[in-house]
Amino acid sequence: MPTDRSATWVVIAAFNEGKVIREVVGEVVRGGWSVVVVDDGSKDDTAEAARVPGAVVIRHPINRGQGASLQTGIDYALRRGARYLVTFDADGQHDAADIPVLVEALADADVALGSRFLGRVEGAKGSRVAMLKTATAVSNRMSGMKLTDAHCGLRAFRREAAPSLRITQDRMAHASELLRKIKTAGLRVVEMPVTIRYTEHSMSKGQGGIQAVRILFDYFFRA
Amino acid sequence: MIIRILLLVGLAATGWLIFLRRNRLPIHIMTVFGLLVAGGAAVIFPEMTQKVAELVGVGRGADLVTYIAIVAVMFVLLHYYTKFVELQRQVTELTREIAILRTEVDRVAPPAPEPKPLQARDERVDQEAPRLVAGDDRV
Repeated sequence: MPTDRSATWVVIAAFNEGKVIREVVGEVVRGGWSVVVVDDGSKDDTAEAARVPGAVVIRHPINRGQGASLQTGIDYALRRGARYLVTFDADGQHDAADIPVLVEALADADVALGSRFLGRVEGAKGSRVAMLKTATAVSNRMSGMKLTDAHCGLRAFRREAAPSLRITQDRMAHASELLRKIKTAGLRVVEMPVTIRYTEHSMSKGQGGIQAVRILFDYFFRA
Repeated sequence: MIIRILLLVGLAATGWLIFLRRNRLPIHIMTVFGLLVAGGAAVIFPEMTQKVAELVGVGRGADLVTYIAIVAVMFVLLHYYTKFVELQRQVTELTREIAILRTEVDRVAPPAPEPKPLQARDERVDQEAPRLVAGDDRV
């Protein structure tokens, strides 16, 4: 599999992550991957902080949401000739050590999805785990897939899969949209174990019950 | 009756505004004027709505008008919601295009550093005042 890690682009969508983005990007850059951070119109110093460890930073002049930011990063990485694309959360909940696991899984798959329930969850409350399991069950119903974790932000896919996976859901419903598109395009998909580290910071930016309703609304009534 | 006058004036004003902005297809203008004339007729001859209501199986003429109005409003809302979603999509596309272009331009032609904000006047005077020091070439 890929020996040249710089041909793998890690796409990080960040909104007001100035506090943690430098460390998160640093961890990925040290792994030898190419990194593009899409600063989604942050009010803080996210862009400057992300540049320090050596990421390419793209700034949305106006806030357009996580789905829109990921697609911007993906478009950019494709322009720069990315062979493999990885989506990675900006809040520090992912472990850069899981990236090679996902990318190597692309040897015989088009898409590799991270699963915290195959892997490990650190620091999560029982209520959050219960909510995520419910969301996964709902999502499996909607997409007709059998996944153990439907909303993990850590995924990898091949360049050739990118056109089938164009995100049109600007906000959070993009996760469900991706699954639907994987299914429709008949892509080969595998789930790989990853570690999710919940911190106070990542919890504060996580999705609650009310947002879940909004995500469902977006999924069914938008774009 | 005052209400009839108010309603007719409202309908007439709507018609006038549409006449002023007559850059649409004739079919659109004809449809709108048809609706306005029907509205005017319903105001002047309310018994007419009663007859139509009985014809389609609604008890009162006023109820029929309400039902039609609700359906029409829902139609208009849906129309504009669809346009709104489409606009959002277009704004995202433009934002993306600008953001990527800007990144690529900066990569090829790195911009000069942003200007530092001016300091408060007192500090500036302190710092920029020429100092007369022995041995200074400028003196």
